[in-house]
Amino acid sequence: MEKELIKFMLNGEPVEVYNDPASSLLHLLREKFSLTGTKEGCGEGECGACTVLLDDLAVNSCLIPAGKVNGRSVETIEALSKDGGVDPIQEAFVEKGAVQCGFCTPGMVMSARALLKQNPDPDPEEIKMAISGNLCRCTGYKQIEAAILLAAGKINSK
Amino acid sequence: MSYRIAKNLDSALEALKEKDPATRIVAGATDLFLQEMPARLVDVSSIEELTAIEEIDNRLVIGAAATHARAAASELIKGRAAALVEACLQVGSPQVRNIGTLGGNVVNAAPAADAAVALVALGAKAVLVDSSGVWREEAVARLYSSYNCSALDGCTELLVRFLIEPCGQGEGSAFRRFAARKALALPLANAAARLKLENGMIASLSLVAAPVGPAPTRLIGTEAAILGKPAGEETWLLAAETAAEEVEVRGSLLRCSAAYRRHLVGILTADALRAAARRAAVSQSGSLT
Amino acid sequence: MPTGIVESPVKIDPRVAFQSPEVWAKVTGKAIYGGDLMLPGMLYGRILRSPHPHARIKKIDIKQASGLAGVRAVLTGSSIVQKPYGIVIDDELPLAEAVVRYIGDEVAAVAAVSYEQAAEAARLIRVEYEELPAVFDPAEALKKGAPQLHAKFPGNIAWERHLERGNCDQAFREADIVVENTFTVPPIHSTYLEPTVCLAVSDPYNGLILHTAVQSPDQVRTIVARVLDLPLSKVRVIGPVMGGGFGGRVYGNLKLYIIASLLAIRTGRPIKMQLTREEEFLVGRPLIGAELKLRMAVRSDGTILAREADIITDNGAYSAQAPWVSKTLSERNDSVYQFKAIKTKVRLVYTNKVPTGQYRAYGNQAANFATESLLDMAAAKLGFDPLEIRLKNCVRAGDVTVHGLQLKSCALADCLKAAAAEIGWHNRKEGRGYGISAAIHSSGSVVFDKNFRGAAALARLELDGRVSIFSGEQDYGQGAHATFTLIAARALGIPAELITIHTRDTLASPFSIGALGMRQTTIGGNAIRLAAEQLREKIVQTAADMVNEPVIFEGGSVKSASGQVIELPAIAFRYYSLTSGLTLVGEGKYVPAESAYDKSGYGNIAVTYSFAAHAAEVEVDKLTGEIIVHRIVAAHDSGRIINHLAALGQVYGGVTQGLGMSCFEGYLFEGGRVANASLADYRIPTSLDVPAIVPLFIEQDDPEGPYGAKGLGEIVQIPVLGAIANAIADTAGVRVTDLPITAEKVFLALSGWECEA
Repeated sequence: MEKELIKFMLNGEPVEVYNDPASSLLHLLREKFSLTGTKEGCGEGECGACTVLLDDLAVNSCLIPAGKVNGRSVETIEALSKDGGVDPIQEAFVEKGAVQCGFCTPGMVMSARALLKQNPDPDPEEIKMAISGNLCRCTGYKQIEAAILLAAGKINSK
Repeated sequence: MSYRIAKNLDSALEALKEKDPATRIVAGATDLFLQEMPARLVDVSSIEELTAIEEIDNRLVIGAAATHARAAASELIKGRAAALVEACLQVGSPQVRNIGTLGGNVVNAAPAADAAVALVALGAKAVLVDSSGVWREEAVARLYSSYNCSALDGCTELLVRFLIEPCGQGEGSAFRRFAARKALALPLANAAARLKLENGMIASLSLVAAPVGPAPTRLIGTEAAILGKPAGEETWLLAAETAAEEVEVRGSLLRCSAAYRRHLVGILTADALRAAARRAAVSQSGSLT
Repeated sequence: MPTGIVESPVKIDPRVAFQSPEVWAKVTGKAIYGGDLMLPGMLYGRILRSPHPHARIKKIDIKQASGLAGVRAVLTGSSIVQKPYGIVIDDELPLAEAVVRYIGDEVAAVAAVSYEQAAEAARLIRVEYEELPAVFDPAEALKKGAPQLHAKFPGNIAWERHLERGNCDQAFREADIVVENTFTVPPIHSTYLEPTVCLAVSDPYNGLILHTAVQSPDQVRTIVARVLDLPLSKVRVIGPVMGGGFGGRVYGNLKLYIIASLLAIRTGRPIKMQLTREEEFLVGRPLIGAELKLRMAVRSDGTILAREADIITDNGAYSAQAPWVSKTLSERNDSVYQFKAIKTKVRLVYTNKVPTGQYRAYGNQAANFATESLLDMAAAKLGFDPLEIRLKNCVRAGDVTVHGLQLKSCALADCLKAAAAEIGWHNRKEGRGYGISAAIHSSGSVVFDKNFRGAAALARLELDGRVSIFSGEQDYGQGAHATFTLIAARALGIPAELITIHTRDTLASPFSIGALGMRQTTIGGNAIRLAAEQLREKIVQTAADMVNEPVIFEGGSVKSASGQVIELPAIAFRYYSLTSGLTLVGEGKYVPAESAYDKSGYGNIAVTYSFAAHAAEVEVDKLTGEIIVHRIVAAHDSGRIINHLAALGQVYGGVTQGLGMSCFEGYLFEGGRVANASLADYRIPTSLDVPAIVPLFIEQDDPEGPYGAKGLGEIVQIPVLGAIANAIADTAGVRVTDLPITAEKVFLALSGWECEA
């Protein structure tokens, strides 16, 4: 397994790592950077638990070859509470009871973040669409959708 | 294992010069990543020329590495080739649409790839260049050799862009699919239509359905049956019947029976025609939606 | 399709919308799940599985695999001491020895320094098989001459039960109409989002420690100790955070734990093993598939008299909890209505397919689909309104049901009325179909172990004045910790923020049956209430001794008669100092009254019972058969709701799982091969597939549950199936009797086409 130097922005900081460029971004994040907040639910892009932002767009990190992030910017769930604070999206998730087992939660939060970056005032339909690639078995999505709506309000009123 | 991100077309072609069977062009890489990865990958998703969506000389030019998400959000495409927007919006999930590209959708050669079905119905041409710098144009429908097998040689050739004649006055297009759930699902069947109306009559049309063969397939019989007929329910029902009759379908345990798929092709064809005709009528009356 | 985010009409009382502080760890990505665990020197384990549904193992050659760099152990059935085990029936071995019985059967296991090397080594193991005839259809398996799976179970019958209560034949003679039909339900996977992971650590001093998230850690360690011949006190289970359970994780994946333990013992190194998503579907013990042949006898005035059932449940190759599930599936639903007589034959049959287990509600949801469908057929035949026939026959508080369940509290009739009113039963929209369905489920089942009906808990006052609760019940995301916190806070009269719940270490917590049978709130919650109450008494006693005058404990602090305030840390310190190190501990022992059930299973089998009625509003596109579920109203009698926010979450989630089972999910087999072993093809609902859901709580005190509460988790899924099936039949005019009800099936029924193979 040949390794290559991969340089990219990770949660706002420049990083460099020697890694197999054909292994997944998900494994790179979890194994090389110990960023275990990004979860592996299927490894096939079918559940969204591994959602991270790549240049501000939600992507399945399990489907991204590590080499692809060279020169780009990756953001994981850990970026949202970097300085010990909590993001309004996370606050809203807790407030609305949107977290049950929590395994889909980091991916959901990242999909919500991608949505609100692009569309600060989404309607319920747009919210459903934005998380349609994130499976959740516990919640039936209702409290998650309510949380994202609440988060939009929180961010906009700031 | 090497992964190179090509900055421009020349450097991507340079990498293909060796005609090394272990070298492959990738864009989104979402499909390839789940299969056996070739040893040397050349990522073309950052090449500006391959990602642009623009109108040049009254032709819609869509870079092969444009993502489904960008195509779906493009006002330019929406106004001129609505079927493609509808198709791109229904691929996989937001995450997959953000990374998967139109070119990949075609080159991966899945028989019912939504965007490819729309592209074929729209009459899109693929522009390709090989490692020696020779350019050619090919109808998208001709880029398929067999089931899940592209006619394009990913080791020596690069798909650069798609060219589409925009829907003009009196023209409209639409795409419809039927799937077992509303996201993260491959379609049981899909269909796309492009047509032109003159005095309420179908003056020209292109109808495509899938999966009814290895490639998105023109419904030649149905096209012939309704060409020149008035745009209306009677015609759409005739189209549904003819389409269901003319297609060769297979059943699968995972999706549905052949009989149901055949029926769906008919329904979706009529739905797509109906929506395309509505758009054509609107464009004729001058008010763009 | 209505798509707005519907806020529930249930008003959330913020005082009872508490969440465990663990949600902050989860929402920030800091919660540690099994897959996140790493230990120095850790090895990775992989399992080689059978590619054949039924075959004799002739020879296993591990030479090449053992010689691969980085490989530390290769185990086969003949290289380990094997002991048959099971949950109900001992029909499994840790590794197959002579015969493999399904595609996925564990044949050999490897430990290596990396996951890739372990996988490569597993590939290098050469196994020679002699294929045997296999059988996949339970009806075929019952036939004479069918391939036999287990010598101990001739005829492939793993378990069977013949039961009659009342005089069924006479009831059928008295009936004015008889309706009958056959219903089929495929195996259903819990589909928790976190794949099963286990990290096994073994050393001579600590014994075996299994880091894995299961709903019943004590039961898992009991079985693992038995199979591996280890002293029970030398097997400890520590749970990381659990990424969903839904009944599928009561025992987790025992085989994985046993194999990981064997590898850890053999190598002396920590072993991490994780199922891939594909393996989850291949070996993850789904709910049994079933075929239910039902007949129902009804009088022309709408009185339901009797029900006869011939049920075959598809066990797969090994049985896990399938006998218990078959029993619940064939029986529990009978207590929704006042049946006079019941006759049931249920056979659990071995086939060369995925071994089965359990999922939320123990098969009660399958029975709901069948019975509630049949009841609507009866209503239609008699010209009765489906709501009226249910109201006429449903059980009420004070009833003793046909199986002897004693209903101390029951608001089922109110649930039916509330669900019907909210859905617009008498105010229907044009072109829509309406369906209603009712359910009962045990709240605090006491039949898992005759000698162990209840639960115990400890409440400990810490030196800092905070309170730690130790319980063996489990929070897999359903919010048990939050509910337990609220119960303890109420019993102690202190703020919830001062309480921490510890449940995940079998060394620290009292033994527990675990999170199943809706035991958590009713049984576990009662134990915690009692522990907290005893701690409260001890706090008062110690404080009174300190100040030598009577004290009262109110509003979180202790005050003496003379007005002195004695802080909790001071009380804790006083006791600690008096005893040189002990802390004040309250012990809670909740032991439900001796169950009166007899040999035939007649009698009270749970502390109490929860009820629900759901109503569905759907639309069917006649051109394609497409089903659009618009709205589901879920009316529940779970007694007093302790935690409104969590209760709403349970309803939304349970209804969605019910929708999944109704219209989307189910194993598909090609022979013995699972055809849809991925999240792409085993389709659970996405956000775009879930209709508006309206939860309603009919709150009445239950005399048994803590603060009047009853269980809510499992029951939510049950009535969804009948409600949706009936609503579809109402508008389509045709009835699909095999789950899932897909567009294609509805279309084929509508068109009268024969389905091609």
